[in-house]
Amino acid sequence: MSINFKQIEDKLKTEAKKLLEGGKVSIVLAYGKGYDEKHPMPYVARKMSDVENMVFNEFCTANMARYLVRYPRGTKIAIAVKPADSRAVIQLIQEEKIKREDLVILGIPVYGMKNFKTGETIDSKTTCGRYNPVIYDTLLGEEVHGQPVVSPYDVLAEYEKMDKDARWAFWKKELDRCIRCYACRKACPMCYCDPCFIDQNKPKWGEKSPESHGNLMYHLTRFHHLAGRCVDCGECSRACPVDIPLYLFHKKVAKECEEMFGQAAGMKIEDKPALVNFRVDDSDKILE
Amino acid sequence: MKKTNFQDISDLAAQLMGKGTLVAPVKEVAGFNFREISDAKQVDLNFYNTLMSPKSAFFPHTEDFVRYDKNKFVLDAQCVELNLKPVFLFGVRPCDAKSFEIMDIHFSGTGAVDPYWKKRREATTIFGYAFDPNTPADGADFYSTLNIGAADPEGSDIFMMKKGDELLLQAVTPKGETLLSSLSSLVDASKDDEKYFDDTIAAGHSFKTRFTCVDEKVIAKKLEDIFLKTEFWEKISDACLSCGACTFVCPTCYCFDICDETLFSKGVRRRVWDACMFTDFTLEASGHNPRTKVYQRLRQKICHKYSFHVRKYGVISCVGCGRCTRNCPVNIDIFSIVDQALKE
Repeated sequence: MSINFKQIEDKLKTEAKKLLEGGKVSIVLAYGKGYDEKHPMPYVARKMSDVENMVFNEFCTANMARYLVRYPRGTKIAIAVKPADSRAVIQLIQEEKIKREDLVILGIPVYGMKNFKTGETIDSKTTCGRYNPVIYDTLLGEEVHGQPVVSPYDVLAEYEKMDKDARWAFWKKELDRCIRCYACRKACPMCYCDPCFIDQNKPKWGEKSPESHGNLMYHLTRFHHLAGRCVDCGECSRACPVDIPLYLFHKKVAKECEEMFGQAAGMKIEDKPALVNFRVDDSDKILE
Repeated sequence: MKKTNFQDISDLAAQLMGKGTLVAPVKEVAGFNFREISDAKQVDLNFYNTLMSPKSAFFPHTEDFVRYDKNKFVLDAQCVELNLKPVFLFGVRPCDAKSFEIMDIHFSGTGAVDPYWKKRREATTIFGYAFDPNTPADGADFYSTLNIGAADPEGSDIFMMKKGDELLLQAVTPKGETLLSSLSSLVDASKDDEKYFDDTIAAGHSFKTRFTCVDEKVIAKKLEDIFLKTEFWEKISDACLSCGACTFVCPTCYCFDICDETLFSKGVRRRVWDACMFTDFTLEASGHNPRTKVYQRLRQKICHKYSFHVRKYGVISCVGCGRCTRNCPVNIDIFSIVDQALKE
């Protein structure tokens, strides 16, 4: 069975029309036409007539949960979510940035998405490797079953073979290429701090120039700010114009968190974020 | 006119390295980039266009102005002087060569002369490089819309073109002429080559990228007229993440910030690229920020390039290289926005 993108697009349009017409939501966050077919864009439908511009194809990789925090609290929003995106929605609800009752979640079960910059197929290497959204009100399409079950952490095998010095050298080399455009934090659904620590200058946490120490300060801090919160959508790595494999660090931290606290980010609305929640039986591994 | 075999480019590169600093395209992880060459074999002309624009040859991402020690007297601070060897900027695409002229307006053309830009500009000989006639565009670019040809020698000192297995080199300016005649690894080109050269330049002008040409004054006026149409700007900025990818890869974005960066007592005052898409770009000392919303920032970017710049300097501050479109994480296409604006 393969994903019928056209069918999903049609269902998306029908649902969006229904929701906007009934006044149940004021905006629908989904995907729209870009400058060509291979480059669709995040799209916000406000009126019935906007719905016609919606599309859904294998290049619609953007995580729409990124845009949720942009609208005033209480705005009724319908949002199209792919598997990892649904986890971002849950995580944002856990962190009390949005309320469940303000959302209509349109789930999209999907695999075989393609990176619009390279045309490569996106798999569990850069995403969470799930096929079905964790949460939804309406499912656009059918649940995917029978696809190989893969661990999102398999890609770490090579990385984990490196010792401490090798990892340090690896990240220094990779992060030295950073141009500090901040596309990673802006594409990230969980990076909503205003202002971001790196933009503050009283105190100044890191240098603005794209050189070794400032880059390390920015990225290492961002990596750790996302500990237990990263939903592994891979958008930061795809947004990066210089292709820094940011997903490696995020996955590594996510894996450690999951092992330590027995909880992956954005899986259950009732959970509290792992690093916010104190439990007496929490692992002390970090202190050993 | 001179020529050389395409596979002998490293000989030409080596010769240029002997005369000064060579900055040329090098293949890197994420694509090609202009880098200072340490090994002549690194030079690779098999590229469509570079990821980052060549503006950094004159306007580096970080430029140190003053070095100081916090424990010393203020007059002990040292100005950073530029001592440049001749620089050869090799393999610049026609649209990018055009961008330097636009940047000149800001760094030396309006009365206030930036000494760093000027020194670098004077020390540099630009080797323009025509787009391959077989692959003159990749779908993101629109340079012909802004009246730049696929093989436009304007802005280059020496213009290069690929002809089969050969690379043709033609001097465009006296500076280029002097240099070209001193390069012994090149041989004289034939009459056929000269004809091919002129034909390709002509063909480059008739090649059309997407979007039809529109008079810059019409665009400028239209954008001015719809400046206050918030609904339009909100709509087009719905997808914008407000990151700085587009401005950093852009050949004509020239905004910068002056920062003091200190490590223990040693400090440096430097210029670092800044981007109008960042929230703190317009943050004032009082705490007031005139551009807090994404649509305000994107509107500023579009209107600056296609409207204010035309009104003030008579030219659009864009060369249609397509880098912003290619590198946008959400596929925003700058000229599509202008196109939509014209239909408003």
